[in-house]
Parts: sequence; structure tokens; C-alpha cells
Amino acid sequence: MGTVKGGYFKKILKIDLSAPSWRAEPLTEEFILKYIGGRGFGAKLVWDNLKAHDFAINPLGPENLLVIAPGPFTGLYLPSSGKCSFISISPATGIYGDSNMGGVFGVELRQTGYDSVAITGRAKELSFIFIDDGDVSIIPAPDLTGKSCLEAEGLIKQRLGDHSIHLAVIGPAGENLVNFACVNSDWSRNAGRTGIGAILGSKNIKAVAVRGSKDLPVCDLDKLNEETAKAHVYLRNHKFFKFWQEQGLMCVIDYADNMGILPTYNFRDSSFSRSQAINGFVMESKYKIGDSACFGCSMACGNICLVKEGKYTGTVTEGPEYESCAMLGSNLGVDKFSAVLKANSLCDELGMDTISVGNLIGAMIEGYEQGLLTLADLDSEPIVWGDDGKIINLIEKISRREGIGDILAGGSRAVIRRWPKMASILSQVKGLEQSAYDCRAALSMALGYATCDVGAHHTRAWTVAKELEDGQNWTLEEKANLVIYHQTVRPLFDMLGVCRLPWIELGLNERHYAAFFSAVTGVDLGFEELMSRSRDIYDLTRLINVRLGISRKDDQALTRWLKDPVRTGVRAGKIVDPDDFSRILDTYYQLRNWDEEGRPDPKLEHQFG
Amino acid sequence: MSKQLAVIPERCSGCKICEVVCSIKHFHVTNPKKSAIRVMVVYPHPVVRMPIVCSQCRIPKCSEGCPVNAIVRRNGVVEIDRDECISCLKCLKSCPFGALYVHDDVEQPIKCDLCGGDPACVKACPKDAILFIPEHVLGQAQRLNNVLSYYHMKEIEYFDRGEKKQIRYAEIGKEEI
Repeated sequence: MGTVKGGYFKKILKIDLSAPSWRAEPLTEEFILKYIGGRGFGAKLVWDNLKAHDFAINPLGPENLLVIAPGPFTGLYLPSSGKCSFISISPATGIYGDSNMGGVFGVELRQTGYDSVAITGRAKELSFIFIDDGDVSIIPAPDLTGKSCLEAEGLIKQRLGDHSIHLAVIGPAGENLVNFACVNSDWSRNAGRTGIGAILGSKNIKAVAVRGSKDLPVCDLDKLNEETAKAHVYLRNHKFFKFWQEQGLMCVIDYADNMGILPTYNFRDSSFSRSQAINGFVMESKYKIGDSACFGCSMACGNICLVKEGKYTGTVTEGPEYESCAMLGSNLGVDKFSAVLKANSLCDELGMDTISVGNLIGAMIEGYEQGLLTLADLDSEPIVWGDDGKIINLIEKISRREGIGDILAGGSRAVIRRWPKMASILSQVKGLEQSAYDCRAALSMALGYATCDVGAHHTRAWTVAKELEDGQNWTLEEKANLVIYHQTVRPLFDMLGVCRLPWIELGLNERHYAAFFSAVTGVDLGFEELMSRSRDIYDLTRLINVRLGISRKDDQALTRWLKDPVRTGVRAGKIVDPDDFSRILDTYYQLRNWDEEGRPDPKLEHQFG
Repeated sequence: MSKQLAVIPERCSGCKICEVVCSIKHFHVTNPKKSAIRVMVVYPHPVVRMPIVCSQCRIPKCSEGCPVNAIVRRNGVVEIDRDECISCLKCLKSCPFGALYVHDDVEQPIKCDLCGGDPACVKACPKDAILFIPEHVLGQAQRLNNVLSYYHMKEIEYFDRGEKKQIRYAEIGKEEI
């Protein structure tokens, strides 16, 4: 049986859609213990594929590899174990990209008996993949063309005659190769970022349907139960546990507003005078009709919301969560929660990332206001802050690539190509739009965005709260170290296939996860070793990006951070100091053992085969 | 005193922790597909999350459908006699709630046995959506609700240590039919 006695089926499913063919391949223990799972498996497989193509890959070409990878913890009885990563070369950025979703899809996928799925090629016509307990079929389904995520999900379940199947599905935006199309599962869970939906669309794959029944391998189940019980007792006794169930991530709106980090009017302001109209209490008292949790999660951060009056009556969705509410609310000057809900629900149905959508529409509104865009550029439809009707119209146009929507569908880079002056007001790094935290008051957050391996995403480092609460007087080195710690521990959760919220929000000690790992696999790696694996993966994704042309010039602070002071609120006047930024970037590279251009030692490449 | 599982769908978040702990308790494996409780999730119209589990019916329909009389209610638990059961799966269809389950690895139907009087799902549910209560408590909430909404009641306001409160009462002698 070897040393790895649980956590893995030690098999990967490889699908070539062009042939079409599929085969199961064994995974060695050496591979497993080096890359752990999730994003770790994905980065390694994407690296191998890039090398096989001499680093020349069109993200939307059949040669691009998409890896779907839950982790060794996905589906187990431990806190919030519902995560599944999607890893590839992103069409939005042209470099390494990944995104993960919660829900049940990853658990069901694991129960088919595969640790990961690697997909290349392109189906001849629109199809869906059905992985049925180890068996695989690629089923043509041209009738699903243009269907929303929810409609497609229903039709596929009907066709397979089983309501209990779980799906990862794309909407019209994915089919139309919108560069920030997401993958949706079970109505409301999304792998939102880096355009994974467009990659599935480019492969003519509308959905991946999974049905599995296998026992998930665990080395020492009694030991795991013991460790899990401890973690659950801690979480349940936490003073904010009930509050999290009640408001979930929506409680962050008030926090971000008070701290002066809430994106408002396209990131010009960092607090919103009408945030009280779109906060967690409004959601809870007027809209919430139910709780929603991913697999194995006691925190239940999801809120099911229904609009009961006004023009959006009948709109029902799971969400919005903080990011969606900030980007489609305050960032667009929208102070009607019902309109935020409608826009969120549309993005879910059409299959688009709410963060990118909120950024791009915000930039359009500001661009028009500042005279960077003409009325003709906007298809003769002027749009102003808070105009929810026009915003919703624009969301639909993007998904259909209609008029101006066709340019916006290309993401920030396409907008800048078309209107170069827009570069100064678009918040994006490496082609990926910025998440919903202003960073002008927190240098470490700016560094986190600039050095995040997928672009301006908070997924790797969310240091803003820590720095503003404790670290105002920290040295640059302390701030850079915090970023690196985040960029190591947060991706570790993505490798293990669990959610990081019990740790970041309720303070569950990250060392619990080393104890889980030991019980699940029978290999006592220890926390430091696991962190070291995660750090290696960060080097690997950097090596990938360097090979694809990324260097110091791409790790830069945005014009908005450097030159546009926050206009109002507690952070009024704040900007990122360019010298500080340059110095902290130097420090960061040194701490990572990368050279002054941000390149890891090329010899490291051999480590990864 | 017979106790029964009671499910409150409005509280359920769909996390499936009940499914996992059920499979661990009964089969010592991690496999939601081997649990005797399953969360049914329906959306978007209506939005409902409802754990489906055996109600231990006093007149079990699953038993009526059983051709070999393998299903008997003993001490408040509807049990499948594992020696008699021929695994024809008729009970799966005859249960009006669909609260019996089947899995390829398990020869006979999977059914809730209340864990011998200490149900694992109840302890693990983070939303208190599954309760284990004496049967006579069933319906108490509805009864209480019925009383509180009795429309002949009068209401007066009063102050208790500066705090405004209400009291409701039914007036004697003013009965109406």
C-alpha cells in the first residue's frame, strides 16, 4: 500500500476531447507528497503541458490544459471541506490562472475515484462530459447552446434521469469566450476568476457532470474524527459563529466601510455614504430567506435572498457575498440592495465573474464622466453612477458580446487596447481586475495584489485587515513577510481542498490542518513541511509566469494607487508611496530568493521536472 | 417514552454534515452515499433544503410493502430484520418520504436506526435543523401558535421598569361562537 495510506485514490483522469479519448493514469506517492493536491497538482500539470508545447500556448486553443482538482481533504468530515480548484493558463492574463469553488461538486468528483481530471483538446460540437463512477462519456448536446447555467443544469439532470448529479457548468458568457466567464455549480457556487469558463467554452464543453459513490480514503478515521471534533467545538464556541451563520461575508460591508477599504465609485473612494442600504443587516432583515453552506461547513456563509417588492420582485439567488455586493453595489454607486441582488443573479445565470464585471462597468462609468469615452463609445447609451437599469443592460450585453459588450468581454486588456487612456482608471494587475479591497491605506495589500500569481486577486494575500489593525508601524520587511505568509498558507488550503474561512475569519489555528493531514494520509509531514510544499508551488507558478514573460515590470502598483488620493472618508488623502512600493518589492523579492527582476533561480525549474 | 427525529427545513443550510457523520457511524467510512439521511436541495422556485430521514412511522408503509415481513417496529424504531430481508427494494418505493436508501456496496437497504437512541446527525448539525424529541412534543409548536393567534384576545400595553410591554388575555363573559 505504500506510505500514503489515505487521502488519495492515486489516480488521475486524463481526457482528450479532440480524439475523443480518456484514460486513468496512476499518480506516484512521490508526486502526491510533493504537490499535495488541488492547485499543487494543477500547477505541476500545467507546467508539464507548457514545456511540452515550448511555452507557446493559446489559452483558448485546444492545446491548453484545464485541471479540475479537489484536494485530499475534500468531502471529509473536517471543517468546510467542499473546495475544488480549476487550474489552467488564463485567457484574461495569458499566465497561470486558477479559481476555486465550494459546494458539493468537488466531493462528488472525488467519489468517482479520481483525484483530479485533466482536460485537453476540443470537442467537435457543444457537449458535456459525464464522469460516472470511473466511467467517462462525452455527450453531444448542441441543444444546450445559449442556455443559462441553471437551465443547462436542469436539462442535463433531466437527460441523465438523476436529480442527485452535481455539475460544473458554464453559461452563455463561457460559450461566447468572455475572458472573465466563470464556472457555476448547483445554481450559485462559482469558480469565478481568471476566465476558467471561457476555457471550457473554447473546448466546446458546456458542463462536467459527476456522479460518484466511492468511499473517500482515510488512513485513521477515528483519529480524524477526534481532531475534527476539537475544531468543531472551537468554531461553535466562537463568539462570532452565530453572526457568521446569520450574515456570512455580508458582514464585511460594514467592516470595510468603517476601515475605509470599501471600493466605491470605481475605487476612487474607499467608503460609501449609503453603505447602510446594502449591508448585512439590510440583507438579513429584508431579503434573507435561507442559509446556505458548502459541503461540510458549519459556518454557512451563504445567504439565500429574495426580492419581495419593487421592480426586481421575484429575483432569488444565493448571495450576494461581500465581493459581489461591493463590486456591483458601492463600486458602481448602487444603493439599492434589490438591484445588487438582480445584477448578482444575472451574473450567476450568464456565468460571469462579479468582481471583473463590477470593475469594468465602474471604469466605463468613470471613463464617460471624465470624457475618456464618448457617447458613441457607449453605443449612445449614457451611463451614470447608480443607474441599475443600464448596468443590468450592460451585463447582458457583455455576455452576448453585443456592441460595447464585445470589447468589455475581452476584459481590462481589451478595453485598454481599444481606449489606451482607460489604463489610468482601470484597476487591474496583469490583466486581472482588482478584488473588492482598496489598498491605498495598506501597503502590504498593494504588494499582495502586485505579486499575486493570478493577477490583482485577494485570494493569495488578504493582509489589509491585519495591517490596518496591528501593523501601521511595521517595517517594510514585516509587511512583506506577512504577504509571504499569506501567500503560503492561503494556497495551502487550495491544495488541501478546504475553505480558508474557518482560519481567517474565526481564527481556527492553521496547525489543525497538519493534524488532519497526518490522520487522513498516515504521513506525518507536519505544518512546516506542508507550508514548504505550498511555498514551492508559489515558486512554480512564478517560474511559469516568468517563462510567459512576467517580470518586475508587471508587479507594479497601479496609477490609481500611486496618484489618485482617496477622496473622502477615514482614508482621505491616502495613496501608495512609489518609493515605499519599490522598496517593499525589493524586500519581497529578497525574502523569496528571487532576483531583482523577480525571477526565481532558473535552476529551480529542474525540481519540477 | 418514544423519541423521534424532527427536521426543521427552514434552518437547514445543506452542508451535509449529517450525511457524513451517519456514514461514519454506521459503516465506518466517509461516504455521504451510504447515509440514512440525505439533504434534498431544491431551487430556485421554491428554495428548500430538507433532510430526508425515516420518521419511524407507527404504521410503516415500508413494512406494508415488504413481501417477507422483514420490517417491524420495535421500541419506537422501524427495523429491517437483516436475516429476513431479501433486498427487493420494494420498501424504497413504498416509503412515502423516500427515506430509505441503497448503495452498490451495501447488500440491504440503508435505513435510520436512531443510532440506538443517540443520533449522530443531531449532535453534529451546526444549525440545529435536526432535533431528537419525545413524540408528544411533536405538534407543540403548532398548538402554541394556534393559542397565541386566538383572535378574540385583547391586548393592553403597560410599563415594566420603564420598558414598554404588552399583555394579551381573553375576556371572561365575552365568549363568542
